[in-house]
Amino acid sequence: MKSSAKLAAALTLTLPLALTLSACGSGGEAGGEGDGDNKLTVWTWDPAFNIYAMEEAEKVYQQDNPDFELEIVEVPWDDLQTKLTTIAQSQAFSELPDIFLMQNNAFQKNGLNYPDLFSDFSDSDIDFSEFPESVVEYSTIDDINYGVPFDAGTAVTALRTDVLEQAGYTVDDFTDITWEQYLTIGKDVLAKTGQPLLSGQAGSADIPMMMLQSAGASLFDDEGNPTIVDNEALEAAIDVYTQLVDAGVLIEVNSWDEYIGTIVNSNVGGTINGIWIVGSIQTAEDQAGKWGITNLPKLDTISGATNYSANGGSSWAISSNADVDLASDFLAATFAGSTELYDTILPKAGAVANWIPAGDSDVYNEPIDFFGGQPIFADVVAFGPEVPSNNTGAYYYEARDAVSTAMTQIMGGTDTATALGEAQANVEFAME
Amino acid sequence: MTPVASDAKTRTKTPRRNDPPPLPNYIGNRKPWLNNTRRRSLTGWGFLLPAALLILFMSFIPMAQAFVLSLQTGRGTRLDFADPLWYNYQRLLSDEIFKLTLTNTFIYLIIQVPLMLTLALVLANLLNNPKLKFKALWRTAIFLPCAVSLVSYSLVFRTLFAGDGFVNDMLTGIGAIDSPINWLGQADTARFVIILGLLWRWTGYNMVFYLAALQNIDHSSIEAARMDGANAFQTFWYVTVPQLKPMIVLTAILSINGTLQLFDESWALTRGGPAYQTMSMAHYLYEVSFQKNPNFGYAAAISYVILMLVAILSFIQMKVGDKRD
Repeated sequence: MKSSAKLAAALTLTLPLALTLSACGSGGEAGGEGDGDNKLTVWTWDPAFNIYAMEEAEKVYQQDNPDFELEIVEVPWDDLQTKLTTIAQSQAFSELPDIFLMQNNAFQKNGLNYPDLFSDFSDSDIDFSEFPESVVEYSTIDDINYGVPFDAGTAVTALRTDVLEQAGYTVDDFTDITWEQYLTIGKDVLAKTGQPLLSGQAGSADIPMMMLQSAGASLFDDEGNPTIVDNEALEAAIDVYTQLVDAGVLIEVNSWDEYIGTIVNSNVGGTINGIWIVGSIQTAEDQAGKWGITNLPKLDTISGATNYSANGGSSWAISSNADVDLASDFLAATFAGSTELYDTILPKAGAVANWIPAGDSDVYNEPIDFFGGQPIFADVVAFGPEVPSNNTGAYYYEARDAVSTAMTQIMGGTDTATALGEAQANVEFAME
Repeated sequence: MTPVASDAKTRTKTPRRNDPPPLPNYIGNRKPWLNNTRRRSLTGWGFLLPAALLILFMSFIPMAQAFVLSLQTGRGTRLDFADPLWYNYQRLLSDEIFKLTLTNTFIYLIIQVPLMLTLALVLANLLNNPKLKFKALWRTAIFLPCAVSLVSYSLVFRTLFAGDGFVNDMLTGIGAIDSPINWLGQADTARFVIILGLLWRWTGYNMVFYLAALQNIDHSSIEAARMDGANAFQTFWYVTVPQLKPMIVLTAILSINGTLQLFDESWALTRGGPAYQTMSMAHYLYEVSFQKNPNFGYAAAISYVILMLVAILSFIQMKVGDKRD
């Protein structure tokens, strides 16, 4: 071979290898370790909501600390959960950021299985009593706080006022009622307008779970044992759900996109979900001014039933690889201490605070045009403290999936007791 | 000079007159260890070594580690060896959801693989016809689904088969059904949608294999069959197919392997379907590892069960199909 050809061949072989190796060397998005630089890394999802809130928090904190920097990395929740599990399992904790967002439902699972992911910051400046107890409970393990509640999953009943008007009702007719009454009114509305009042994803137990929590019940008891059988509240919730579907007041669809589609395309007259659903509702601009918010109906056959519940919600956690002082100071000054922050993020993102003092500000009392001038956020903040706590435990998703499966079977005709018994057996199996 | 015994060690071997001169790499007069044959095989090994080492470290050693993991129980990182060592495997036998996913995967295997291979075979045969027009167009069109991204095609299928999707609209439009079918909400129809997706996607892939093998069939054997009075089907069945046997065995093994490890359709199309009814074993494995409470020992045991199934079925395939005449 000629020497120039040999040279070319050698380069072709080594160049890709060299490039790959150099790429391996760079690329670290991990957080710092308290080495004094005023920089924090955050992992979170949803540019329109969480990331936007973090950016505003950065600006608020920079008023007092001008050389503070915040690096926000967008990671969808499913990917974030997988990443955390992988990092914890392979003990590569140096990959963690300083702060990450976590779904409230998954907090116990991650905290109990992988305590090494979190930092304990209960002795920081954050006053946890300024948050509703039910929400702080999610991120509390053995009485130690690991998370700052952020996004409220407080549940509301959102209704199309124009559809209700057509049937001769108003939003007040839906406030502080029972599910019996809701069913009656729903059938009437269906008869007069042809519109169901609710839609839900088939095989997803969101609505029965909200009903369950509203009655102060959970899928687990305080020791963490599953309470799927002999759970009066659960049976009542499933019973109501079945009645709603049979009467046509609730239509079931097969995917999340279809669910949003039913709302946006005016196929339903309302929905029941966490307040975060407002963001999706507001994407239907032709429905502006035609919506109203109120609280949930209650399961009146159960003692301790309330008109309040929650679905979802998330909290900021400080990782074990973090600059804990800086991170907790940052969170204390912004998400746990700045009305200015909450005032800014509320109108644009609809981010309703869990932080109780935030609800006192005027911004929360402003009427929202999309909802016919109702100050929905003030209402929701008032709902917040009324929401009963529930026990999630480490096996929440197993139990929730088991109940979803049971519900699919019950909708298909299986006897409730059998289906729930099978669900309990599945959860107990998973807990072995 | 006459050779003397005492000369044996000191005497050097004088080359005979008609021998070729010794090669330059002779060390003294001894033959070098690195002769041509050895050098060629060492060069071969040299080229293979990086890939072999990579496979060893990236595949085989993790496989061994996974086996060790499947013998451990515990949550999160607190893993200890199980009390009877095979505890996870024993637990598999009483896991209702796992048995359901096993049934689902086997349903996909038994229905989809034969259908797909037959279809691919027939299509390859049709497309091999020299008198067919626009051959390149047909071949591309049938192969193209294979090149489409898995997630995007799953999402499109999900939209197509939604309650108010295109399929329902079309069927109600031509009057075949009265009310929209809930395709993804019932177990049977949801499985049907997955099988349809798999057929659509992988038929082209296997067809290309068969087309390649068909090029190697001697055309004279087909002509001979035609001259003996065989019709198209008889030619196909008695002449073409036996000659394609090695390729059929290969594609069968590949398809069984792929279907047993099915994940993408179960995840993206139906998310496990109504109450686990369309979930495949690999999808359940992912759930156990990352979505539910992480139980990695159990997940490793599931992966080994999949491995054993693939190994057994492939072994049977090779025994049955690979008769070298």
